[in-house]
Amino acid sequence: MAGKTIVITSGKGGVGKTTSSANIGTALAMHGNKVCLIDADIGLRNLDVVMGLENRIVYDIVDVVENNCRLEQAMIRDKRYDGLYLLPAAQTRDKTSVTPFQMQELIDQLKEDMDYIIVDSPAGIEQGFKNAIAGADRAIIVTTPEISAVRDADRIIGLLEAEGLRDPEVIINRIRADMVDRGDMMGIDDMIEILAINLIGIVPEDEGIVVSTNKGEPIALNDKAKAGQAYRNIARRIMGEDLPMMPLEKDSFITRFKKLVGLS
Amino acid sequence: MASVFSFQAVSDGVVMNFRDGSTFGSIKKAVTLHAAEASDFFTGINLYLNLSGLELAYEQLEELMQIVKNYNQVNKIYFTAKKIEIEEKMTESTSEAVIINRTLRSGQRVKHQANVVIVGDVNPGAEVIAGGDIIVFGRLKGVVHAGAGGSKEAQVAALKLDPTQLRIASLIARSPDDIDSSKLQAERAFIENDQIIVEKI
Repeated sequence: MAGKTIVITSGKGGVGKTTSSANIGTALAMHGNKVCLIDADIGLRNLDVVMGLENRIVYDIVDVVENNCRLEQAMIRDKRYDGLYLLPAAQTRDKTSVTPFQMQELIDQLKEDMDYIIVDSPAGIEQGFKNAIAGADRAIIVTTPEISAVRDADRIIGLLEAEGLRDPEVIINRIRADMVDRGDMMGIDDMIEILAINLIGIVPEDEGIVVSTNKGEPIALNDKAKAGQAYRNIARRIMGEDLPMMPLEKDSFITRFKKLVGLS
Repeated sequence: MASVFSFQAVSDGVVMNFRDGSTFGSIKKAVTLHAAEASDFFTGINLYLNLSGLELAYEQLEELMQIVKNYNQVNKIYFTAKKIEIEEKMTESTSEAVIINRTLRSGQRVKHQANVVIVGDVNPGAEVIAGGDIIVFGRLKGVVHAGAGGSKEAQVAALKLDPTQLRIASLIARSPDDIDSSKLQAERAFIENDQIIVEKI
C-alpha cells in the first residue's frame, strides 16, 4: 500500500491545527481507511489529549527515531476505530530531537501499510515546521477569518512552495455567518482572494469543539454537530469526492432566543 | 541637489555618474547623505564610480572612496571614465528587467538593480525593491520601493495599487485607509515636485 501523507499546518498558533488533525483523521478512519496521526509538536504535545489517548502513551516519536523501541510499539491504537493510530510526540524533549531526514524515513516506513498519514504541525516556521513537512505529499493549511492568521497562512504557502509542496489546500475554521453578514468578519471570498489556493472546507464556529476537546472525543463523531459534519465532508473531499461546500447557516430565531435566555 | 549624481544599472552592478562640473563639496554632501539612506540596497553588487567630467585632487578622491565604502557590504568598487551622453534616461533604456512569474507571498522578497515586472499579486507582507520601475500585473498589496538607488524617475504601476507602503527614491507614501478594495483599477505612482502622485492609467 502506498499511503498519502498530509501535513496540517498554519503558521499561526491557536487556529485549530490539532483539532483539525484529530477530526480529519477520525473521519477518514470512519470510512474504513487505515490512518496514522503523527503529532510533530514535540515538547508541546496535544493531539493525544484531543484524541483521548493520553493515558496509553508508553513510547513516543523520539523513542522511535532514537531506536529505543520499534515503530509499532509507539503507535497507539484508537479506542473507537481499529484502523486509526496515533504516534505521539515527546513531551520532555524539543523540536531538535528529530531531523527532517529522520521524519522522512519514519513516514516512508509508515506509508507501507497506511492509507493516510496525517501530520499535525506545530505553530511557527522553524525546525518543528520543517520536520512536519519533511515527508508530506500534500498540505492542508488551517486559517481563521482574522487578518493575522491569513497573513501567516500566506507566508506558509510561500514556504511550502519553496519546499516543492505545490497546490496546498485551505480550511477556513471558526467562521461565523452572522458576523460575516454584518461585515465584522472577513468573508470566505476575501480570504481566498489573498491566498489564491483551493478551499477544502469551511468549519463553522462551534461551542461543541471545546466540549469535545476536553472530553477527548473528536467532534467528527458527533452526528448533530455542524463542525463535525464539516470535518466529515473534508475527509470525503480528501478521499477524492466532489462535495459542494456546506452553506453557512445562521442561527434560527429560536436558537438565538434560546441563547439569549441561556437555554442553549 | 537631486542630480549631482545618478545611477545606471549594468550587468554586475551600478555605475555612479556625476553631473558635469559638480564641485567636490556638493558631491561629498550628496553621496554621504545617500549612503546613509541607501541602507543595504547595494549589498553584494559592484559599484563603478564614473569620474568622467570631474576634476578631483588626490585627497578628494581618497575622501570620496571613504564615503563610498559606507554603502553597506558593497562588493567591489571600480573607477571608470566613460562618457555619458544622456544621463538621466540611461537607467530605463539600457537596464534589463527581471520578470517574476508568480505571486509574491508574505515574507518573500525580490530585490533587483533594474526594473522588476511581476505577473501575479504582491500580497501583504511581501517586499519588492528595485533600482528602476516596478510593474505588477496583479494586485499590489505589499511594500514596494522603486528607484531604491535614488532615482526619482522611477515609477510603480499595478492593476490594483493598494500597497502597505509605497516608496520611490527617498519618498514614502501609503494607501488611503478608506480604499475600495473590491474593483481592479490600474494605477501608477511617480514623483512630481518632490511628491508621490498616483494616477489612473
